[in-house]
Amino acid sequence: MFSPGAQAIAQEIYADLVEDSCLGFCFEVHRAVKCGYFFLDDTDPDSMKDFEIVDQPGLDIFGQVFNQWKSKECVCPNCSRSIAASRFAPHLEKCLGMGRNSSRIANRRIANSNNMNKSESDQEDNDDINDNDWSYGSEKKGVCRAWGNLGGSGASQEEKIRQGESRGKHEGNYNNSTGISYETLGPEELRSLLTTLIFLFQQCGVISEHTKKMCTRSLRCPQHTDEQRRAVRIYFLGPSAVLPEVESSLDNDSFDMTDSQALISRLQWDGSSDLSPSDSGSSKTSENQGWGLGTNSSESRKTKKKKSHLSLVGTASGLGSNKKKKPKPPAPPTPSIYDDIN
Amino acid sequence: MNKDAQMRAAINQKLIETGERERLKELLRAKLIECGWKDQLKAHCKEVIKEKGLEHVTVDDLVAEITPKG
Repeated sequence: MFSPGAQAIAQEIYADLVEDSCLGFCFEVHRAVKCGYFFLDDTDPDSMKDFEIVDQPGLDIFGQVFNQWKSKECVCPNCSRSIAASRFAPHLEKCLGMGRNSSRIANRRIANSNNMNKSESDQEDNDDINDNDWSYGSEKKGVCRAWGNLGGSGASQEEKIRQGESRGKHEGNYNNSTGISYETLGPEELRSLLTTLIFLFQQCGVISEHTKKMCTRSLRCPQHTDEQRRAVRIYFLGPSAVLPEVESSLDNDSFDMTDSQALISRLQWDGSSDLSPSDSGSSKTSENQGWGLGTNSSESRKTKKKKSHLSLVGTASGLGSNKKKKPKPPAPPTPSIYDDIN
Repeated sequence: MNKDAQMRAAINQKLIETGERERLKELLRAKLIECGWKDQLKAHCKEVIKEKGLEHVTVDDLVAEITPKG
């Protein structure tokens, strides 16, 4: 690359540099000797042997075994169980209840147990307490006990079903004496119940096994049979639930639409305003009855087929009669008005 | 010869002027440490010092000893 002359010169330059470095190094050493710190990095042979580099298989460079501590077991100071060392930290977190995750789990458990307690204690005597939450507090009869089932509505569908199951057993005993737990519901819960109700009137509603959600297809959904739909409705609405008729498509749809829309508007209005407890008297109940029957009657005038109306109204009134705490007479007015219509 | 010496001087001067020499020196030091040259030198120094006794070592002695080796 370079001419030989240049190379020679480069060599000389390099030699000069090396010499300079040596000189500098000598100065350092000399100073170290004179100041007395030259031999400081030398330890005695015994210590030198202790810290020698280890090069055996299975050991690290310090001579320690790799997973020596994995198999060791420690005793938990809280629960006095012997836990494997690698699982010790998470176990302690749950055991002491101080980690992030454990507080979340505890809160969820409390929320769940509150929901369960609330809806079960509703069935006994919560008139006074819960009138503020749900203006129609005295209307424990009325829609369906499914409202109560679905009323723990922070929960997923799966938990609702489970609650439904457990409550189904309870309510076998409670049939005529318990009210509807929806009196404790807030507006959000009402809306969710409402959407569920709409499902059951207009949609298939069969609960899918793997997602635990209701099928949102129409009542004629080919994936599910009528038997399944009936089973779902019975699950939620009680044994007297009737599957909405599918054949009378036109009339049924119009009826359902108006009915549910009226229901929606009514409940939304109710949810938004806080009615005083005094209002929740019998006036409300009769209003409910009148409303339900009023729309039905208007619809029946428009529509030709009466079966669907009767079935749905029959459902409502049937359920109402099943689920009241205090005996009120919803049944007699219903047939009378229908007689008028017919 | 003269010309060579002259050229060498000129080059050296140029190097110093531009600061290249310093850079080269640092580079060389780093390389020497990396390859362990410094440690070897140090060991040799220790021997010399042990030979000569701790108190009487002078810079010149050291230089004279280790520069050729270096």
